Amino acid sequence: MTSTLYLDRRSPVHRLNPVTKLVAMLTIVVIVFAVPLWWVAGLIVVGVVVPAAVVAHCGGRLLSLSLKLLLPIIVVLVLVQGLTFPGGKTVLAEWGVLALTTEGLLFALGIGSRIVCLVLTSVLFVLTTHPGDLMGALTERGMSPKFSYIISSTLQLIPAFRDRADGILLAQQARGLAVKGSPLARVKVMMPLLGPLVLGMFTDVEERSTAMEARGFGSAARRTALIPVPDSTAQRVSRWLMLVLAVAAIVVPIVFGVL
Amino acid sequence: MISLTDVSYAYPDAEALTLEHVDLEVERGSIAGIVGASGAGKTTLAKIIAGFIPHADGGELSGTVRVDGRDLSTGSLVDAVSVVGLVIQNPFNQISGAKYTVREEIAFGLENFGTPRDEMQRRVDEVAALLRIEHLLDRSPYALSGGQQQLVAIASMIVLRTPVIVMDEPTAQLDPAGTRMVFDVLSALRETGITIVIFEHKLELLQQHADRLHVVADRSIVLSGAPDDVLADDRLAQWAVGTTRYVTAGRLARERGLLPPEVPLPVSFEQAERVFDRERSVR
Ligand SMILES: Nc1ncnc2c1ncn2[C@@H]1O[C@H](COP(=O)(O)OP(=O)(O)OP(=O)(O)O)[C@@H](O)[C@H]1O
Ligand SMILES: [Mg+2]
Repeated sequence: MTSTLYLDRRSPVHRLNPVTKLVAMLTIVVIVFAVPLWWVAGLIVVGVVVPAAVVAHCGGRLLSLSLKLLLPIIVVLVLVQGLTFPGGKTVLAEWGVLALTTEGLLFALGIGSRIVCLVLTSVLFVLTTHPGDLMGALTERGMSPKFSYIISSTLQLIPAFRDRADGILLAQQARGLAVKGSPLARVKVMMPLLGPLVLGMFTDVEERSTAMEARGFGSAARRTALIPVPDSTAQRVSRWLMLVLAVAAIVVPIVFGVL
Repeated sequence: MISLTDVSYAYPDAEALTLEHVDLEVERGSIAGIVGASGAGKTTLAKIIAGFIPHADGGELSGTVRVDGRDLSTGSLVDAVSVVGLVIQNPFNQISGAKYTVREEIAFGLENFGTPRDEMQRRVDEVAALLRIEHLLDRSPYALSGGQQQLVAIASMIVLRTPVIVMDEPTAQLDPAGTRMVFDVLSALRETGITIVIFEHKLELLQQHADRLHVVADRSIVLSGAPDDVLADDRLAQWAVGTTRYVTAGRLARERGLLPPEVPLPVSFEQAERVFDRERSVR
């Protein structure tokens, strides 16, 4: 019904403050992009992401979702870069104009390891962080409630509107509308359905904003939250440490030119 | 408490007035029932009483609207909504979409007004018990039936404890038991001094619970009075407003000479029982 991937589990990872998880994710993004060494990304996956997924009881889901996302990317990457990398000299195998080169494979490994790391990290974040909690935590830190409302309501209303579209379609089918045949024929029969759907959405938006105002959404009062966002000194400290780490990952290579 | 004097209104870009010369008085701590056919202007009137017209909807509003001694057209919509709560007609659109559980959904308005957390928790639990929706508190507001959503919508307004609550057909999707419960809750709220304006088609419940009834027709309020007097009025049919089955039965009895014309028409079950018992013993 809701379009979130969140997995409701009891785990220390789930209980972390969403902002801590967000900062961790962003730190990993920065490090992986700032440090051009493929094994750094590998190390993060093995040393951070996988253990966190195990603790969070999300390993299976993380694997299946990430595979779906990653498999096509990896295959394309290895084929294209491995076979056609322009700087390729060490030929491993050859088919006509195509040559599998060590340089090409290394380049693919460099890019691929980063992509794998980023996808795994962000999927794990989404699996263990409820969007409502994330928005609550960010609003508490001064993000505009209007902005957070737009994000949360989009996540919930899209499935709700999809249900409505299904309802309209069903009603039309009950009245003899045929939804078979070629895609073009299908688009043709669906056209008349767009009217009620879009019109309905407009009146909905108006009514919805009325209802929101009636519940004080326009109020200038300092908002409170029914459910407290968990936090701890340890998490506060680690957020600052991660920030330092991220800055270091950017600055150190530039200043020392080691990499 | 609520006082509308010579109020007229036209929607933006509309050629004709939707409401014209409306007068309405509602006493503090009373329940006012408002009836009218589809398209008569009930929702429009509800939005005027709650201050959404003209603050949010625009259009041309004339006359005066006073709620709790204040002129709602001066001041802002936020001022208005802290005095008048509005339960809109479609519960699906009353749900914020920002919250993932019914508990948080009910608290949404309290959060916006900055209510302290422990008070919020207490009030949400109280309202949930009142409307018997405790078992729904941890569910998603979108995983509810229409009637359940309606109860959540009502809960999310009465939790705000505004001195006035306006409800636009709040029981349309409820079963008879749920409808009776809502009316009982409204009666209990009235005892605490809250003023309630309810737009409703269920006339027998209005007869039991409302202090006064008002009929919207021909772009205005054409009749106001005690529920028994309004429901026995001959002109209701001409305004496309029904009446209770007891009135209808009374009229039939009159036509057939079973009830003398000087006996007032019964409006409720109790009255019908009394009237017909008496007629039988007279014969
Ligand atoms: N936004 C709008 N712009 C223009 N005209 C409107 C608008 N909303 C309603 N109307 C018109 O105003 C009149 C009264 O509508 P309103 O929604 O108040 O009726 P209602 O009594 O609540 O009907 P229902 O019982 O169907 O809910 C109708 O003729 C309607 O077409
Ligand atoms: Mg209406």
